[in-house]
Amino acid sequence: MQKSAPVADPPFAGGLNDFESLVRQHRPRIFRFLLASLRDREAAENLAQDCFVRAFKARDQFRGNSSLATWLMHIAANLVRDHEANSRLKFWRRKLRSDLDPNDLSDWIPDQQRSPEALALAKEQVDAIWKAAASLSERQRTVFLLRFVEDMDLLEIAVVTGMKEGTVKTHLFRAVQAVRLGLEVRK
Amino acid sequence: MNPHLSGEQISKCLIGDATPQESQHVSGCAVCRAEVARLESSFSQFRGSIRRWSDQEEQLSRVREVVTMNYENHLERLLIPASVDLPWYKGIVISVKELIHPPKLPPLEVTSKPVKLASLKGLYGGHETTAGLGSVIVHVAVVALLLFAGTLKPVQQAMKEFVPLFAPDLKPLQPKPKPEESKGGGGSPQKTAETKGEFPKVAHRSFVPPIRPQDDPKLALNPTIVAPDMPNINSSNYGNPLAGVGIPSAGNGIGTGIGSGKGPGVGPGSGGGFGGAAYKIGGGVSAPVPVYKPEPEYSEEARKAKWQGAVVLELVVDENGVPQNIKVLRSLGLGLDQKAIEAVQKWRFKPGQKDGKAVPVSANIEVNFRLL
Repeated sequence: MQKSAPVADPPFAGGLNDFESLVRQHRPRIFRFLLASLRDREAAENLAQDCFVRAFKARDQFRGNSSLATWLMHIAANLVRDHEANSRLKFWRRKLRSDLDPNDLSDWIPDQQRSPEALALAKEQVDAIWKAAASLSERQRTVFLLRFVEDMDLLEIAVVTGMKEGTVKTHLFRAVQAVRLGLEVRK
Repeated sequence: MNPHLSGEQISKCLIGDATPQESQHVSGCAVCRAEVARLESSFSQFRGSIRRWSDQEEQLSRVREVVTMNYENHLERLLIPASVDLPWYKGIVISVKELIHPPKLPPLEVTSKPVKLASLKGLYGGHETTAGLGSVIVHVAVVALLLFAGTLKPVQQAMKEFVPLFAPDLKPLQPKPKPEESKGGGGSPQKTAETKGEFPKVAHRSFVPPIRPQDDPKLALNPTIVAPDMPNINSSNYGNPLAGVGIPSAGNGIGTGIGSGKGPGVGPGSGGGFGGAAYKIGGGVSAPVPVYKPEPEYSEEARKAKWQGAVVLELVVDENGVPQNIKVLRSLGLGLDQKAIEAVQKWRFKPGQKDGKAVPVSANIEVNFRLL
């Protein structure tokens, strides 16, 4: 909570235009996190939208304790949790996760001129991590994604998820263990 | 040496929660360091993949947004009315209710009354018959006049007159065929430079290098080169008309041509023809057609800088359809030139043809970099 430089001027002072530029600035990151957690483009887009709506409605409550990015990520993490809880109730509306084949992700490997073997190996690794991440619990996955995709440190993750740092550490440790196991099995 | 770290300890190192002893061990022990590095590289692959995927989706959604939405009222669109945002359980209750008791619509209230219009009779003030008759007479008169005019001699004469019309040629203008500009080179590997001499005969295929190995062969075979029509000089031996006088030689190139190049032509270039390069497109030389063209990668810096544009490359497509000698003609910077070259190196072409034979052809290629 102590982290973050105090924001120079209140981020919502400039009215709607300012908010729009804020959306433009932060949306890619939020969207990436939501996409990686939900594995569903449409849901991720909707939740990203929701996230900014909530932020806009609650803009008075933002006190600058944490950085704006962290605050938005906090909202996004809450949304993911709600979404998971909600989709468990919506058992009759089974999600067609077609656009979400786990095999898909390995197509997106940044291709930097390498041998086919290295590429195949990288694909396999990414696949294994992706599958292992799918089997994690919601909290573990969130922590794992925040740490390894969004490059946040433990303190920031603690703020975003609203957990204590020790709890974050435990979740992260279990997540990494599970993912490592997935990689070993593949090997 | 103390034993290697356990799996748990390595996990701790990965999340940055290692004890000082453990991190010291990692920095000292090659095996453990390799293990940590391997896992870290896997994670960074994973991160890269997710970022790339999400960037792509983001761009796609931005394109959709631009197409479908007015950008100005971004916020109005964000704030959808609360009625649309009903929670699921309320939605179910409402739909069940509506199924059992369809909501009664209020009865239709007619607020207007029919109005009686005045009769159309009397519109002509009692002269309907006269007006109708007059109208018929005028129409008949006009038709009769037209028919009568048709029977007149001069009119019929004029009808028979024949006016030829030419359909203009609306085909798009074809570019004039370029004069053949193939350049080429060749020569058998010999230490000395090629000699000045008469151009050998031009043929579709060349079999022997144009130097005379012996004076009195049993079966004479005139040397030929593959080239377009050439200037001719009189000389006692075959060679390059532009070269100096010396010992008979076909130059230090490779192939059955003359000069320092490769192939059956004359000069320092490759392939048939005369001069210092591969064939140029035009004049009987068809352009190479790419058959496999993987898209170029974006470099990280360029993606961050939202840098767009085109890189123009010059290259020679050899007889096998493989690009060679790739050079940058117009550069774009930020590592995109390199990416363009990398991409084009992977391209494969249907080689350009001259007289039905694949020949090396030089070509320019524009590689476009666009962020959607």
